[in-house]
Amino acid sequence: MPRYELCVILKAMQRPETAAVLRRTVETLFERGAVVRSLENLGERRLPYKISKHNCRHTHGGYFSIDFHASPNIVSELLDHLERDVDVLRPTVLKKDAEVSEAQGCGLQNEKAKGATSR
Amino acid sequence: MFALSFSRLLLQALPKQPVTPRATAQCIRSLTTSQQDPLKKDDMPIKMENPYKQPPKTCILCNVTVDFKNVQLLSQFISPHTGRVYGRHITGLCGRKQKEVSKAIKKARSMGFMSVTLKDPQFMKDPDIVGIKHFE
Repeated sequence: MPRYELCVILKAMQRPETAAVLRRTVETLFERGAVVRSLENLGERRLPYKISKHNCRHTHGGYFSIDFHASPNIVSELLDHLERDVDVLRPTVLKKDAEVSEAQGCGLQNEKAKGATSR
Repeated sequence: MFALSFSRLLLQALPKQPVTPRATAQCIRSLTTSQQDPLKKDDMPIKMENPYKQPPKTCILCNVTVDFKNVQLLSQFISPHTGRVYGRHITGLCGRKQKEVSKAIKKARSMGFMSVTLKDPQFMKDPDIVGIKHFE
């Protein structure tokens, strides 16, 4: 199963309410047959720009990241569900690529050589 | 007069160029020893790695993973006045890393991690790794 990352920005709320929203989100994931790998809190911070969502202009938000494995069919449904959630400001689902090995080294030398030979 | 002519004779007798012994070490060896050792030569250069080799040129992000969540790192590659991403000729990054950085910045902007038109004020005091000179 491919690996996805859901980066969600929640409305700035009290702790029990944030917990409730996260619980809701994770339960939706479980319902659709996803295997949640981890849930990280990236902190509550000031948003880089004001986000208007659900008839409200927000300046602060809580950033969370959920790592999960799921089938590709559920991604669009999940995004739709999160868009309708009042407490969620900006949901984004990203696909996690396999890590590229850094052993090839910097291509700076090759680029410089190419530049010298082309001129 | 006799002395002069004698000295002249001596000068003529002596060779004009210094005489180098024609017999080299190898010849002497071949003359003296019956065993021949053509491979072992003392004056051939020793095979070694280039001692003047310089370390491979790397860009500043060579072994650093670029992530859209790392807003502080990404903010070092944008203008503090307009928030625009700097080009390759300013950052000095290799092709791969420059692409990764610009993609990550655009991702962060759309996901609500990084601002579009400005640089976050808390990152203004960060050290300048790009080396751009702003018009004062």
